[in-house]
Amino acid sequence: MRNPLFRPRAVVAAGTAAVLALGAAACGDSGESSADLTWWHISNQDPLMSLFQEFADDFESANDLTMDVQPIENQAFKDRMGTAAQSGDMPDIFHTWGGGVLAEQVEAGLVKDLTGQLDCIDQINPIALEPYTIDGKLYGMPFDAGVVGFWYNMDLFAQAGIEQPPATWDEFLAAVEALKAADITPIALAGADKWPGHFYWTYLSMRLAGLDGLEAAADAGDFSDPAFVQAGEMLAELAAMEPFQEGFESTVYAEADGQAAIMGEGLAAMELMGQWAPQAQRDNSGTEGPENLGFFPFPSVEGGVGTTTEFLGGGNGYAVAADAPDSALDFLCDFMAPENYSRAVAEGNLTPVAADPASVAPEMSEDTQKVVDALAGATGTQLYLDQAYPPAIGGVINDATEGLLLGQVTPEDFVAMVNEAWAAEQ
Amino acid sequence: MTLKEPLRVSPVTGRPDRSAGSRPRRRSGRPGAGTLSTFIVPGLMLFLLFVILPVLFAAYVSFFRWNGLGGVPTEFVGLENFQNLLKDEVFLGDLWRLGLIVVLSLLVQLPISFGLAMLLHQRFPGRTAFRLLFFVPYVLTEAVTAVLFRLVFSPRRGFADSLLGSLGIDAQIGWLSDRNIIMFVVFGILTWKFFGFHMILFLAGRQNIPEELYEAAAIDGATRGQAFRSITLPLMGPTARMIVFLSVIGAVQLFDLVYVLTGGGPFHASETLAITMYEQGFQRNQIGYASALSIAMFLISLVFALFYQRFVLNRDLQGSITTSGGTRS
Repeated sequence: MRNPLFRPRAVVAAGTAAVLALGAAACGDSGESSADLTWWHISNQDPLMSLFQEFADDFESANDLTMDVQPIENQAFKDRMGTAAQSGDMPDIFHTWGGGVLAEQVEAGLVKDLTGQLDCIDQINPIALEPYTIDGKLYGMPFDAGVVGFWYNMDLFAQAGIEQPPATWDEFLAAVEALKAADITPIALAGADKWPGHFYWTYLSMRLAGLDGLEAAADAGDFSDPAFVQAGEMLAELAAMEPFQEGFESTVYAEADGQAAIMGEGLAAMELMGQWAPQAQRDNSGTEGPENLGFFPFPSVEGGVGTTTEFLGGGNGYAVAADAPDSALDFLCDFMAPENYSRAVAEGNLTPVAADPASVAPEMSEDTQKVVDALAGATGTQLYLDQAYPPAIGGVINDATEGLLLGQVTPEDFVAMVNEAWAAEQ
Repeated sequence: MTLKEPLRVSPVTGRPDRSAGSRPRRRSGRPGAGTLSTFIVPGLMLFLLFVILPVLFAAYVSFFRWNGLGGVPTEFVGLENFQNLLKDEVFLGDLWRLGLIVVLSLLVQLPISFGLAMLLHQRFPGRTAFRLLFFVPYVLTEAVTAVLFRLVFSPRRGFADSLLGSLGIDAQIGWLSDRNIIMFVVFGILTWKFFGFHMILFLAGRQNIPEELYEAAAIDGATRGQAFRSITLPLMGPTARMIVFLSVIGAVQLFDLVYVLTGGGPFHASETLAITMYEQGFQRNQIGYASALSIAMFLISLVFALFYQRFVLNRDLQGSITTSGGTRS
């Protein structure tokens, strides 16, 4: 053996190097973790982030297991879930909004059927379970539910001489005019995130075509009804008034100078956002938020069949991976246990999904109370379209709304884009 | 190619030179199969597993409509994904923006890097400090750079607006929100990030030119300008050609910086091929379509690399089989 490469040591070294390289490459960025339970949630800011970690720590020591808790920012979470779902390597417990995205994951066999598996499900208001129920089976546990509406800074409205929150679209446009005249930015909008914009188009569609009209269009995959073109026209008209803060095209929702922070600092008069808005305003701006924050439902539109008691909404919940251990189910019920859940509701200003809200939230914050009241008086709800529909269509709606707001897409193009996406999905 | 290799003649004996043939003699003979495989197999396996297989898989998937969830793709659609690609305004826009970045890089970024390299080749106090300083932006990751510039260009209290404000200019420039200027802002940040890297490469190339050439030129009475034109420029050729190559390949793959900075917006105005692919694949779950796009990116890079090597780098690469394709600039 004259060749030094055949010395055993050299061969072993080369082999080791190859194995190490393979191993390193294989590890990569995967949801795999050595912990017994992995939990991905989107409450990436305090107080909920610390509180959820505390829940996990308590559950760890009580059950003698390890948990890997990953608080992930909303948009980044959607990205990571996409790759996790495609690799089939799901976290054991993960955030979900239900709807079409969850349905797609269920169809791929990635989500555990929770029907009859959760002892604590009786404590939850059955209405809140709807977005997570697919073909009669339950695939998620909600912990928060609410509606999207206009959160407005009462002091700024008063400065502009607006006495009543607008009840109709015409009044709304007049309020925007008045605010602009008073040199106040009327609306905060995260244009770069796209989803905050899609609330506007959805609500206008709901007011014009009604919930039934929207449902029929989704069932048929055909949005050719004139109501949807008109919704686009009305949104384009609003955008043409330039009601949004300067640079809204590149603004994101949750950032130090994002939509929520702008509202929190009192730099804009209103935003169309869900039940989490007041908390996000405080968290992102690092302030106490506007002193007088009001809430009014999306205004009615003349000639439309929808009413102001129909809400766009949805909640937050957790789903469990198909291959997760049973301890994941125990953890969900531990989360829902009154002593834990009531803290989450109180500290994080969640809108409780408990069948008996008073049991977990004897003293709700003023803001939460507004959402609970709105929900109590709701005659119908529609889940956010980018979650209700399959991702390919939700993505097109978000994208087309951005184009509409920037004057790059006409209302007719908008409808054509959505129809094309539905046609491709069939 | 059936060209015969010209017979080499020993300058000493005037006879055909055996030792200078294409296969020089070895003292210990050719390496055995064992030696070859010890060296080749580990690398080859990694290459097959992580480069060739994924490329083939992507090519296969690009013929299907597939959301990436559950099992293997089943809905064969032929070339539909590619046909849709050619009709997709975002994809066509990506190509246009790719061209813009490449042209701007060649016309603006590389000359700046070259000029700075020439300056920093001179002897003057603080030279090392400058070299270090210019190289610093390249050390930052692209994501960190993007976050940094999001703060700089923040519309209400960013550094850019404050700076202009303290100069008495109330410009109201929508740095990141104006669709008409966003590509130039992106290009400015790319230049800030990468000029130092290209400068170091140019500097290394300049230092490889032997000083004797300049001395000889000076003795022959050449002016500094003539020496620059006749010595520096031609001998910097290989470096410049390699930098152009790295720039173009880097532009094709541009992702992190733009994605964190603008997400490709406002409304696709700064979107790149990789961002479109990512959004289609991982946000809209259209893996088939995204795969078709990735194959298009692969072909663009491959065709460019082959043509560039064949027609531009052919002299620089003479005698070597390996290329440096695929690395990020």
